[in-house]
Amino acid sequence: MRRFARSTEMTLLAICVVFFVFLVIASKGDLVSANSLRVLLQFLAVPVLIGLAQMVVLAVGQLNLAVGAIGGFASAAMGVLMADHGVPVPLALLIGFLLAAAAGLVNGVLVVLTRINGFIVTLATMTVLLGVQYRLVGTRTVDAYPQGLKDFGSFALFGVLPLIFIVALIVAGALSVLLRRTVPGRQLLASGGNPIAARLSGISNDRSVIIAHTLSGAVLGVAAILTVASSPGVNKSIGGDWLLPSFAAPIIGGALLTGGSVVVLGTVLAAFIVRFVDTARAEFSLEPSWVNFVVGAVVLGSVVLGQVRTRRQQRRTVVKAPDATVAGGVS
Amino acid sequence: MSVSSTATEALQEDAPVAALRRTPWWANQRIGLLILVVLLSALFGVLRPAFFNQQLVVFPLLRDIAMFTVVGLAQLSVLSIGHMNLAVGRMAAFSMMITGISYDLWHFTLYSGLLVGLIAGTAIGALAGWVIARTGVNSFVVTLALDFLLLGLIPLVYTALTDNAAFVTKPPGMRELRNYSLADICVGNVCGSPAVPQLAIFAVVAMAVVGWIFTRTRLGRELLMTGSSVRAAELSGIPTARRVIVAHAMSGCLAALAGFMLAISTGSIKATIGAEFMLPSFLGPILGGTLLAGGFVSIWGTLLGTALTTVIRKGLDLLGVGLESLNIYLGLILLVALSTDRIRTVLSERQGVRRR
Repeated sequence: MRRFARSTEMTLLAICVVFFVFLVIASKGDLVSANSLRVLLQFLAVPVLIGLAQMVVLAVGQLNLAVGAIGGFASAAMGVLMADHGVPVPLALLIGFLLAAAAGLVNGVLVVLTRINGFIVTLATMTVLLGVQYRLVGTRTVDAYPQGLKDFGSFALFGVLPLIFIVALIVAGALSVLLRRTVPGRQLLASGGNPIAARLSGISNDRSVIIAHTLSGAVLGVAAILTVASSPGVNKSIGGDWLLPSFAAPIIGGALLTGGSVVVLGTVLAAFIVRFVDTARAEFSLEPSWVNFVVGAVVLGSVVLGQVRTRRQQRRTVVKAPDATVAGGVS
Repeated sequence: MSVSSTATEALQEDAPVAALRRTPWWANQRIGLLILVVLLSALFGVLRPAFFNQQLVVFPLLRDIAMFTVVGLAQLSVLSIGHMNLAVGRMAAFSMMITGISYDLWHFTLYSGLLVGLIAGTAIGALAGWVIARTGVNSFVVTLALDFLLLGLIPLVYTALTDNAAFVTKPPGMRELRNYSLADICVGNVCGSPAVPQLAIFAVVAMAVVGWIFTRTRLGRELLMTGSSVRAAELSGIPTARRVIVAHAMSGCLAALAGFMLAISTGSIKATIGAEFMLPSFLGPILGGTLLAGGFVSIWGTLLGTALTTVIRKGLDLLGVGLESLNIYLGLILLVALSTDRIRTVLSERQGVRRR
């Protein structure tokens, strides 16, 4: 319990609560009305998922620059299938989801096969997928898909809890269980934490990388489904602004870029904080640019704080175990 | 003309670096790139004779190559130490904002405005470097966060200072610089080619200076050593923290120059400058053989890599391939080029092992 009280998640939770209370007071109680809460959560579903999609690949020590492109491409594919080809909704959503997962799989396979840095591979697939997305929808906005899907996107339990937000939470929960409790998940973390040690214990790092990228694609597939369901139409700009938030959420949530960390809760809470910043911006009717500015400052602040904390911890362990100073003398 | 001779020197000096690495000639990426660029240009020229139209195609093509080469050099400066700068585009936008302010409010001349912009770029780059060196946080995260910050800050300043999100004051000489080619520079009776824009001179100067730094100066050597192994560099007495700051400051300065070239060629200073810089900034250097991990840079490779992508873009455009498909091809080419590069490295490494 004491460990939890000191963790990043606890800090984030406290920030979330303080921020929320502040917003409620600033809006003179408007924010706790059913409608405002519903809107708040409605626009939280997709950011949570794209943060998680990035978190999975970060866990294995990789990057995925193609988050926005995979999501946009899958959304465009679903929209075009439903509107232009009359494919039934469930089938179209399934195809879109599988396409996104397949795109993730391709990323992983390419990274493993070519041994090129994941950064460059996903940069290249991002470019390709952006082109495909543009070719699919062109300059139009596809919105002629069945009303039933839109109803699903805007439906809210008790008028407060949007269905799509619940879907996002279920994905987060499933991901958390998968990474913490299952063998492939643990192996993935082991590969991310220390590839050499993982290999020596008989874990295939290549497989972990492929699994992580595929999972990332699958999560983005869900994000694409939710986007199609909740937005008025699908066009070429979907996914264009996903990249930066996808990194912001896990990094604020305390994920290590070097891999080996699962921060599902942290990522979700960080998405909340970013959403609160946006709500505050709307509350005080400031320019939309302020959100990016504040998020940038928060990301920078949180990594610097995290670094300071690790250093302090290291120093403490060094004092406790004098042998460690000899072993890691230079650092 | 002394500028171009310095550039040729830089070319010759690149050779010893390659020889040092003992790569066989066929593993030299730059020769392959050069052949590819020439072949592709010839192919596009045969398919569409308009490809060699000096005013309408070659002139803007060279202008783009020049600009994106500088963008590539901005990334190359930080790649040399194994870092990344995700904020290249936004650094360009930031320095152009300062330049725009200097034109609009302080009525600076064209080149003093450029100087102010370069200083602003250097400062913002140095800031990024300082944060990285001071905290030890990954450069990817720091520049990403900086990108966010600037993405938010720049539109705020523009809306505060301008009416329609662009600085409209154009100092004398700005429009001329956009359209002038080497044909407007004459030495006696000999004039330059009308196909080569004057803006290209900026890129040549940038290449010469960066090439000189990396091949001739102690600073360049120390940067590359920091890139190969921070620990080894530190142990041999290189102030690595300071080198990190220098590399990022260089990157910011070059990004500012690229932003200036873009502002000149589009004719306006607006908040969206540099938004499309990120991908090309990596494409050029990486295709040209600069290592992501740091420790090896290739200035000529950057030029050739940029030229390749720009020629492909322009050629496909002329062939009537739609804008939408361009990205698909560019991405695929990047993947193929890098995979073949990987194969080459593996092969040459195998040879190296055998020799040992």
